[in-house]
Amino acid sequence: MPYPQPSPSTADLFQVAAPGYHPFSPRTRRPLRILISCCILISQPWINQGAAAPAKETAGTPAHWAFIPPVRPVVPHLPPPPPPPPSADARLGTSNQPNQPTIIAPVNPIDAFIRARLEQEHLAPSPEADRLTLVRRVALDLTGLPLPPAAVTLVLNDSRPDAYERLVDRLLASPHYGERWGRHWLDVARYADSNGYSIDAPRSVWKYRDWVIQALNSDLPYDQFVIEQLAGDLLPNATLDQQIATGFQRNTQINQEGGIDPEQFRVESIIDRVNTTGTAFLGLTVGCAQCHDHKFDPISQRDYYRLFAFFNSSIEDGHGKSAPEGMLEVPGVFVAEDALAKDIAEAQGDLGRYLDNKGSLVTEWENTLTPSQREQLPPEARSALGLLWPQRTTAQKRAAYSVFSPEDRDFKARVNRLAKLEKREPKPVTTLVMKEQAQPRDTFVFIKGDFTRPSERVTPGVIEALHPLSRAGNGAPSARAGATALNAVLLEHQTTNESASAGSSRLTRLDLARWLVSSENPLLARVAVNRVWQQYFGRGLVETENDFGTQGTPPSHPELLDWLACELMKPSCASASSSVPVGAWSLKHLHRLIVTSATYRQSSRIRPDLAAADPNNRWLGRQARLRLDAEIVRDVGLAASGLLAPKIGGPSVFPPQPDGVMRLGQLKRDWNVSTGADRYRRGLYTHLWRATPYPGHSVFDAPDAFSTCTRRIRSNTPLQALTLLNDEVFVEFARALAGRVLREGPSSDPGRLELAFRLCLGRLPSANESKRLLELLAAELNHLPEPSDSTSPGDRRAPAAPDSRLAGAWTTIARVLLNLDETITRE
Amino acid sequence: MNFGEMTPLQHITRRHFFSRCGIGLGSIAFSTLLSDVLRGQDAEELPAPMAPKAPRLRARARNVIYLFMAGGPSQLELFDYKPKLIALNGQPIPTSFIEGKRFAFMTSSHGTKLLGTRRAFRQHGNAGMWVSELFPHTATIVDKACFIRSCATNLFNHAPAKLFMNTGSGQFGRPSLGSWVTYGIGSESQNLPGFVVLQSGPRGPRGGAVNWASGFLPTTYQGVPLRSQGDPILDIANPSDVSPARQRRTLDAIRDLNLARLVETGDPEIATRLSAYEMAYRMQSSAPELIDLSGESPATLRLYGVEKDQPSFARNCLLARRLVERGVRFVQLYHTNWDSHGGPGENLQSDFEKVCRDVDQAQAALVHDLQSRGLLADTLVIWGGEFGRTPMGENRDTTGRNHHIDAFTMWMAGGGVKPGVILGQTDELGFNAVEDRAHVHDLHATILYLLGLDHLKLTFRFQGRDFRLTDVQGDLLTKLLA
Repeated sequence: MPYPQPSPSTADLFQVAAPGYHPFSPRTRRPLRILISCCILISQPWINQGAAAPAKETAGTPAHWAFIPPVRPVVPHLPPPPPPPPSADARLGTSNQPNQPTIIAPVNPIDAFIRARLEQEHLAPSPEADRLTLVRRVALDLTGLPLPPAAVTLVLNDSRPDAYERLVDRLLASPHYGERWGRHWLDVARYADSNGYSIDAPRSVWKYRDWVIQALNSDLPYDQFVIEQLAGDLLPNATLDQQIATGFQRNTQINQEGGIDPEQFRVESIIDRVNTTGTAFLGLTVGCAQCHDHKFDPISQRDYYRLFAFFNSSIEDGHGKSAPEGMLEVPGVFVAEDALAKDIAEAQGDLGRYLDNKGSLVTEWENTLTPSQREQLPPEARSALGLLWPQRTTAQKRAAYSVFSPEDRDFKARVNRLAKLEKREPKPVTTLVMKEQAQPRDTFVFIKGDFTRPSERVTPGVIEALHPLSRAGNGAPSARAGATALNAVLLEHQTTNESASAGSSRLTRLDLARWLVSSENPLLARVAVNRVWQQYFGRGLVETENDFGTQGTPPSHPELLDWLACELMKPSCASASSSVPVGAWSLKHLHRLIVTSATYRQSSRIRPDLAAADPNNRWLGRQARLRLDAEIVRDVGLAASGLLAPKIGGPSVFPPQPDGVMRLGQLKRDWNVSTGADRYRRGLYTHLWRATPYPGHSVFDAPDAFSTCTRRIRSNTPLQALTLLNDEVFVEFARALAGRVLREGPSSDPGRLELAFRLCLGRLPSANESKRLLELLAAELNHLPEPSDSTSPGDRRAPAAPDSRLAGAWTTIARVLLNLDETITRE
Repeated sequence: MNFGEMTPLQHITRRHFFSRCGIGLGSIAFSTLLSDVLRGQDAEELPAPMAPKAPRLRARARNVIYLFMAGGPSQLELFDYKPKLIALNGQPIPTSFIEGKRFAFMTSSHGTKLLGTRRAFRQHGNAGMWVSELFPHTATIVDKACFIRSCATNLFNHAPAKLFMNTGSGQFGRPSLGSWVTYGIGSESQNLPGFVVLQSGPRGPRGGAVNWASGFLPTTYQGVPLRSQGDPILDIANPSDVSPARQRRTLDAIRDLNLARLVETGDPEIATRLSAYEMAYRMQSSAPELIDLSGESPATLRLYGVEKDQPSFARNCLLARRLVERGVRFVQLYHTNWDSHGGPGENLQSDFEKVCRDVDQAQAALVHDLQSRGLLADTLVIWGGEFGRTPMGENRDTTGRNHHIDAFTMWMAGGGVKPGVILGQTDELGFNAVEDRAHVHDLHATILYLLGLDHLKLTFRFQGRDFRLTDVQGDLLTKLLA
């Protein structure tokens, strides 16, 4: 069949449509046989005319719910609650035994939305969890630590009607709140203490980690939190803290492997920054558009590279170099002596690796030297002449190379770094920050995402299908009620710079950050409240917390999601317990709303009716039992045993870990176990080597920090059991817990057991539990080896029995308690 | 993961439980009790994510032993015999080969002069496979293996290339092959982890944990490093002052209290934890038994070249056989260092000879031993690095070659692979694969196929789309199927 000759511009399309060509579906790898000859004939004239789209068709019209800004919905009206039970004069009474469980009245609009939906499904909410469960739950959720028994008693004795709300306020004011919720953000920020890839050299960026903790503790408004992390360095008169905050985008890996093309990995880092920005702030899979227009969401490949351009003009990361660029020295804070020694060893190793590859160049050159030239070499170089390169010491190699190629910048940088360290002067702590280079780089769309195939040049810009970016600000920030102080500063910055920006139309990361926090952004607040929600209930209102696009799951409670998003941006509910007005974008306000809601306070018991009607608990007719996060598993053990060193912040620490872990990386990195209080710091301060992560955390699903993590998986494996049973860390916790129980508890075994239960589980043992464990205690005392001077087995309970036997038996009890599912679960 | 839709526990009230069990919880056999609680379920079928699952296709292989030659072994010194390259030794490579191409060490030691091998090659077996003098033992398995001389990958630096070979992507966060396999078909062993990693050689593989990470799959499917000496698995040994009896008493109490909690809350996660603790306990005896080679005959130890108490690739090969004998699904051995640039410790002379000696006898022994025990038919053995080496020499102190991604050799044996086959052909300089190119995605698709898994259907939904090991690529290498 003759086919007309296609015009050059549509030749490719025509060829694909021609017979004999069998394109494959990229997904199924099966041939596409949909284009039959007659279709081709029909389409041929259209192809030849340039294959124009119909005039009125606009691609990707944002009809998708998530692309329409949230509007505060009307709160459903619920019928009046049943009268409170007569005995419930205080929500947290003095009794340990729960009252008859009751379904409590809705507390705030969260409950109105949840109950309305439950009613639609003909499901009843669950009664409130018993008091002790609730106290443990809210303490673990807000601070990641259980309350000490004495504090629990105080709470239980508080008969004021708002005793629970007061507890919530105290927990939110605790500095441990920032640790607990900061860790979630550090997952998103892919924070780690090493550079990753093969060399995995240590890095210093813990100041950023501490910034996150402090920012949350001071309830830095979320919009400001976003702006400072993305563009703190570009704010007028940026403070030290604002610069440290930009460490967010320096948590990318750095490839220091030999023989790399640094540009390739610089591009990789920026890709990670763009993808992380998309996931963290927009909940969109922007990364798909690296190689092609997004298949499902209105994100073009051009959009992708316009976002890329915002990050493309910062300084080099340090790929292929001895040390990263953009290290900010923090004045007044100095590196400890032993850390300095490690730095020196690291710098020596790095110089050695660099020189290892220069042998043939240097020896060839040495062979061309005249005798008099040889005489002039420094003694160390001269003494090594004729030796094979690998046989020389680093000092000899260095001496020869410094004559051979004194101007080699990479060499000089390494030597200078080492020299500076070797002076052993007090060295200020550094932290990685973002910094723009003087001359912006050009950005191109990369064909198929391949940086060696640049095509169209693009300038910084935002996703076109979302709200527009306007530098003049549209008056929006000022008109917005409750605008934060920072927005006012920004507005000022914007007006003073208006003439300047008129001259240069180039947008910066600060423009990007302002675009993200704009009240017109339909996604930022929704994505943020959803992530907070999922920590409390195990699942977000949008289950695909990292995909609010068209392929994500729709929200279970769309009105509640929008109400919470609006409430975060512009609060309407006053704080229950204080007269202080709630500021815009207050995360603590969001937390308070959720944890004081009746929905949050429900029991997590599985109900047969719910299990049948709603097996995944989508409608939240009950709370969820959630295994604690990796770091908190450790923290609970530390708290129960009394070993916890509650210091906030500082350099990362090295708790004991099993031998051999560090051998699994290319370079065997140090793990010198921290001494003193640093041995007992909270889990989030444990040093994270990307290549050889701390096994006690990774076994409990701590993220690997290779890319952004917005939700941890909760696995349940035999290796977790081995860790809790046998790891040195947990054995030490058990011994300390046993010692504490014997030291602080009463002299009766049942009394000691009660204390141990309160320390681990925040409750008293049941009669059966008590009986079972006292049986075990007796068996342990029976079986433990008799001390050499012991008279007979019958004497095992004699007062003369050495303390060590008692301690040994109680250590077994402590191991049981620390291994219980309940201990590592938030009920 | 848990019970699917059945949660019969809800029907069992606390009162019922205690009335039946009384107070002597510890006195009742665990399996009886639990199977009673989990009505209709056998205690042998406790909730276990690693439980073996039937594959969708006919499985030709049940287990995998993947011998990962970390650093990128030189195919030109071992398998890809190129007389023309030897003849042109020292000549610059024609620019048509390298124009516009990128290599590692572009700005430093990368060389453009052809380097002919100095190793003697001989043809072996029925197919006449060329094997060099460095692999005399490996030459004896050529009739049992399929050699793929046309392998290709995308990335030419070690850490990214290892990531690519293991996860099919240069981007971080994707699951490794072993994770996909155990996610797909679980493991036959409930006493040992389903995906085990062993390591030998002077250092760990570049990138470390990322090579056996489970990415977005549950951590259950992550590779578990196993040491050939000392404690085989982290925290496998009881604490120093805890006797086996004491450990059992402790576990019994944990079990009883957890069981009571299970009944009280009805949360099936607790049942999973109960079974995890029982498996942990079994691992405590099965893992030390695994690494105890005292039951192996002297002849077997000699066959592999295992030296008493010495950690080695040979010992790991023997352990790999013992692991698959015990039903472990996926065993991956890393051996370093194959990175033969010509720098110190990395030359193509004595250093290369040493690393060849490290592996030659044991890898051949593994294939022979698996066959003589009837395990080879079910076990897929894979051999290869993250990339190969350039036909050009490198500008370093001694002879060496740069990283090369366009053609390198891997071999597979057993598990449904057609024996005695030579797949693929490179050009006369050994630069490009010119026949039956086998890209990493194709290798992955084929490995999954041999295990009864369709690479198009083995998916996991993450970030709004179904991910595959082979991304949107992967063609079966049908010529190597038995």
